[in-house]
Amino acid sequence: MSESVNDEHPADGWDEQNVTRRTLIKAVFAGSALAAVAGALYPLVRYLMPVASGQTGKKESFSIDANELHVGEARFFTFKRHPAVMVRKSEQVVAAMSAVCTHLGCIVKFHEQQQMLQCPCHGGKFDLSGRVVGGPPPKPLAQYAAKIEGGRIVVEDV
Amino acid sequence: MSETPEIKELKLGPLTIRNRLALKLHDLLEERFALKEVLDEEVFTKLAPTHLGFLSCFGGITFFIFLLQVLTGLLLMVYYVPDTEHAYKSVVAITNDIPFGWVVRGMHFWGATLMVITVLIHMGKIYFSGIYKAPRELNWVTGVTLLLLTMGFSFTGYLLPWTQLSYWATVIGTEAPSAMPVVGQYTKTLMLGGQEVSQLTLSRFFAVHVMILPITTVSLLAAHFLQIRRQGISGPM
Repeated sequence: MSESVNDEHPADGWDEQNVTRRTLIKAVFAGSALAAVAGALYPLVRYLMPVASGQTGKKESFSIDANELHVGEARFFTFKRHPAVMVRKSEQVVAAMSAVCTHLGCIVKFHEQQQMLQCPCHGGKFDLSGRVVGGPPPKPLAQYAAKIEGGRIVVEDV
Repeated sequence: MSETPEIKELKLGPLTIRNRLALKLHDLLEERFALKEVLDEEVFTKLAPTHLGFLSCFGGITFFIFLLQVLTGLLLMVYYVPDTEHAYKSVVAITNDIPFGWVVRGMHFWGATLMVITVLIHMGKIYFSGIYKAPRELNWVTGVTLLLLTMGFSFTGYLLPWTQLSYWATVIGTEAPSAMPVVGQYTKTLMLGGQEVSQLTLSRFFAVHVMILPITTVSLLAAHFLQIRRQGISGPM
């Protein structure tokens, strides 16, 4: 019964002079409900919005000092959020490719003596250009563009 | 506040609305559809029998999960590509690249598992309480058909990510019916769209998963619920 008495009170709206316990609780509940709805809608909107990084059209690039990589050596790095490897074939020629084996996604290892990339999981073998030379991989390793420019090795997405 | 003295209280059963916009909307709908009468009778003053317990809720829980599956399924369909070249990549992208994609896919994945569990609990409750008996035999038939449809959802949905696991599960799941006498080979060919799991299989599994099964399920759910409304909830044991 006290409910209807309070409801007929003139200060039913938000009046600083006369904030009843009921109006305060109502406001808190309305606020929480609004926050809950917003919290549910935010992931939905983010999910449906296109991914920002894919929109800019800017090519990802990675570079190191050319002196850090000697001829016949390989260096592993992270490119496009995945492991990648660059190999210096000669003074002027560098190759860069994904280090993810095309068979089942293991990370290939560099074998310096054989000058070859090998997958430790099922023995897939790739030459220094990423071509399959043995084992089960169905496709060559994904290639990136690599060049030596002003004393730096620059890797870019093709 | 004081310049609108005409504000009144709107009573829908135990629920009270005191809001000008809601009042206007209510008047608008009330004039045209006389909703108050229906809502009072069907929702606000309709009471559940007191003998219902937690186990009686599993049909409703299953329905709730089904609604979540529809919602998350629609969201997944925005990014999923039903093509053998791109299916796996698109699922990886949903999980790793799309913001909150892992939540959507996770909800769909676990929802599917949970739905099978809750539907079985619901079936067990109906069976062991003898609720399937006359006059509710037809609703038992509808329910078992819905269980089979849920299994169909699970089977077709399992192939869609195009992983090793889903590929071989489909190979086994289509080899099994091929052992049936006479119709076995035809069934297998019909399911696969050929002699092996291929793009044709993925395409038809996708069509069945996102169109044929949902439409059939929603129609049968309507029949399931209408029968309950007409026959009432069964009495205590």
